Amino acid sequence: MKLDEELLKEICEYMGSDLNSAPCKIIRDHMEACPNCEVYIDKIKRTIEIYRLADQCEELPEKVIRNLLTCLKLDDPSKTCKK
Amino acid sequence: MENNLPEEELVARAKKGDQAALSQLVLNYSSRIYHLGLRLTGSHQDAEDILQDTFLIMVKKINQFQGKSSFYTWLYRIAMNVGLRKLKSKPRKYEHISLDDPDFERVSSEAASEWPDFGYDIVNDPHFRQRLDRLIEQLPEKYRTVFILRDLHGLSTEDTSRILQITPSNTKIRLMRARNFLKENLEKMLKTEMQL
Repeated sequence: MKLDEELLKEICEYMGSDLNSAPCKIIRDHMEACPNCEVYIDKIKRTIEIYRLADQCEELPEKVIRNLLTCLKLDDPSKTCKK
Repeated sequence: MENNLPEEELVARAKKGDQAALSQLVLNYSSRIYHLGLRLTGSHQDAEDILQDTFLIMVKKINQFQGKSSFYTWLYRIAMNVGLRKLKSKPRKYEHISLDDPDFERVSSEAASEWPDFGYDIVNDPHFRQRLDRLIEQLPEKYRTVFILRDLHGLSTEDTSRILQITPSNTKIRLMRARNFLKENLEKMLKTEMQL
């Protein structure tokens, strides 16, 4: 298994250890040889990705921005750039 | 006004009452604050209220921002406080549940059920998104807030801790439990809906 160094760092931080510590070395050794951990971690990452993607599908409606600027008594600066 | 001014300059101008700088700050953050409110409450109307109240406070109090933290940390903290107050004013949608740490003994069975690929089309399906929303709404607030800030908005553990006024250790523990809860329940949902 190719280890995601960022993820390993996060797991080690969660355990209160840094990357070169003994507990972190045990995790690294285990994960390099454990396909089930790979699937588990992949599912966690994909859970996050699914929610990020879902957020991207929800755009901030133009009307909401207009209402906001009106409520704050501010102008839309982009309007001055439009012809 | 130049629309690519550094944030510090925009904040400095906004503090002096520059309306264009204030507008630019509002536009720079409006989408993020709206999505924060939407994920926190699950309601478009509440998200719009949170957006307006957050920026009303920002405009009123920007002179009090001393630059001890970054501007976005300060703004997110306002938004989170506004959002949590909004949540408290409403009846709870779901029963409170307590979350445990992941059961790593069960990881041994993970390989048996790999997930399909989720493209934009699947996630953009209103029914699928509704189910996703329902899952995140079931997460108790203290976990949901951490998941939103760390994983959806990409904030660091330190900034998340500052915004929520909890220790970095607590942030990490809550994040791990939140991620695990969503993953477990997403898996159950996929099993039922997609016959995995």
